[in-house]
Amino acid sequence: MCLHSLTPLRNDSMTICRIYLYVRGILFLIGFFVSLLAGCAEFRHVKMPPLPENVPPSHELAAVPFFPQEAYQCGPAALAMALSSSGLPVKPEDLVEEVYTPSRKGSLQMAMIGACRRHGRLAYEITALDSIFPEIAAGHPVIILQNLGLSWYPLWHYAVVIGYDAAEGTVILRSGVTARKLMPFGVFEKTWARSNYWGLLVLQPTQLPAMAKEESYLAAVLGLEKARQFQASISGYTTAITRWPQSLPARMGLGNSYYAIGDLKGSERAFREAINLHPNAGAGYNNLAHVLLEQGRYSEALEAARKAVSLGGPLKATYEETFREIKSHMSQNAHEK
Amino acid sequence: MHRFRRSAKFVSIFLIIFLSVIYMPVHSVFAAMVGTEAVLLDEEMQSTREKVRAFLDREDVRTHLTAQGIDPLEAKARVDSLSDAEIQHIADRIEQLPAGSGVLEVIVIVAVVFFLVLLILDMIGVTDVFTFINPPPKR
Repeated sequence: MCLHSLTPLRNDSMTICRIYLYVRGILFLIGFFVSLLAGCAEFRHVKMPPLPENVPPSHELAAVPFFPQEAYQCGPAALAMALSSSGLPVKPEDLVEEVYTPSRKGSLQMAMIGACRRHGRLAYEITALDSIFPEIAAGHPVIILQNLGLSWYPLWHYAVVIGYDAAEGTVILRSGVTARKLMPFGVFEKTWARSNYWGLLVLQPTQLPAMAKEESYLAAVLGLEKARQFQASISGYTTAITRWPQSLPARMGLGNSYYAIGDLKGSERAFREAINLHPNAGAGYNNLAHVLLEQGRYSEALEAARKAVSLGGPLKATYEETFREIKSHMSQNAHEK
Repeated sequence: MHRFRRSAKFVSIFLIIFLSVIYMPVHSVFAAMVGTEAVLLDEEMQSTREKVRAFLDREDVRTHLTAQGIDPLEAKARVDSLSDAEIQHIADRIEQLPAGSGVLEVIVIVAVVFFLVLLILDMIGVTDVFTFINPPPKR
């Protein structure tokens, strides 16, 4: 009796359970596809974030030349477009040697930066979404690194952003073999975000980025000095001084660059300006001492070195070495006389 | 044999001088000039230990690039165009850094694979995409 009454009850509950599972499964599938479609729609029709007030709603740098890429060679192609646009006519094939890494079948970001510098151009990195459109509006095309694949199956690609249209919600690129690629903003944002919004401005050293930050700009000019492009680094530091007149590193860099090409007068002027603006800059006195020493002005040099040593700081050992060096030169000189 | 040894001697002397000139670190006339980097980066890079580390990192990256099939001179030029901070940033993870190459090949590969799959399916008789696989019987 008990058993008899229990069995249908169990069957009932199992049927209900099964129906519930079916419904849930179907609902889940419907939900999955709807969200998939919605997701697609979301990526393709994402609105552009509002542009700053002084930036026009649409702009295109139509004059940027186009070089279609060869297999694996989007790096040299993108760089050639940006360099040519900065007034330096080069072909992608001229850049392969400097940029491409055969075993990786691609171009590393650092090689792109280095190649810019070796051609006397300022390589200014950007790392934020909101800095790209003001730069385009200011006439600077931007090389970007996109992952056109997935995070676990990356397809890294360099393209050059040359324009945008906020009303249409599109970004205009020179990409791969396409001279004028219109990319919906949402897709652009998604693919670019995977490189943490890495972008590169290729500028003449007399140009400033639209949204220039002092530290980034000076790091970019320092790169020119590292690549031994001293004429370019002199222009770069001079440009930096017009924008940030108080900058100590810019004046030190200017002095060091003049020193590197043997322009002792220019170097002396820069270091003197540095110590006038920053009387506690031991490095300025130290380097001034060297420039004076090289001109044979020993007593002035010794005075500057003494000042550097008295200021001290983490570079005190270097200043003491300078002081000793000048002393030994003086005694040598006295001996010869 | 004798002539070969003599010319080999010349070549090796030339190579020794040439390579030592190439790899000789470029020093300014005065070693105690403070570089722009030290001023720009303030305290971080100023200690001797940091400088040594930067030098070793530079060598590491250069060796790595050479191992990746880049000419030693070109590898040196690439490394020399970077600042110490940039070198330190990439030194430990150069293997993981992205190398942009584009999607040209992927599209071609996908197209070829797709073509082959359809071709095989045609041959088996599952599909009938290409007319040249199963031509209609002639009358």
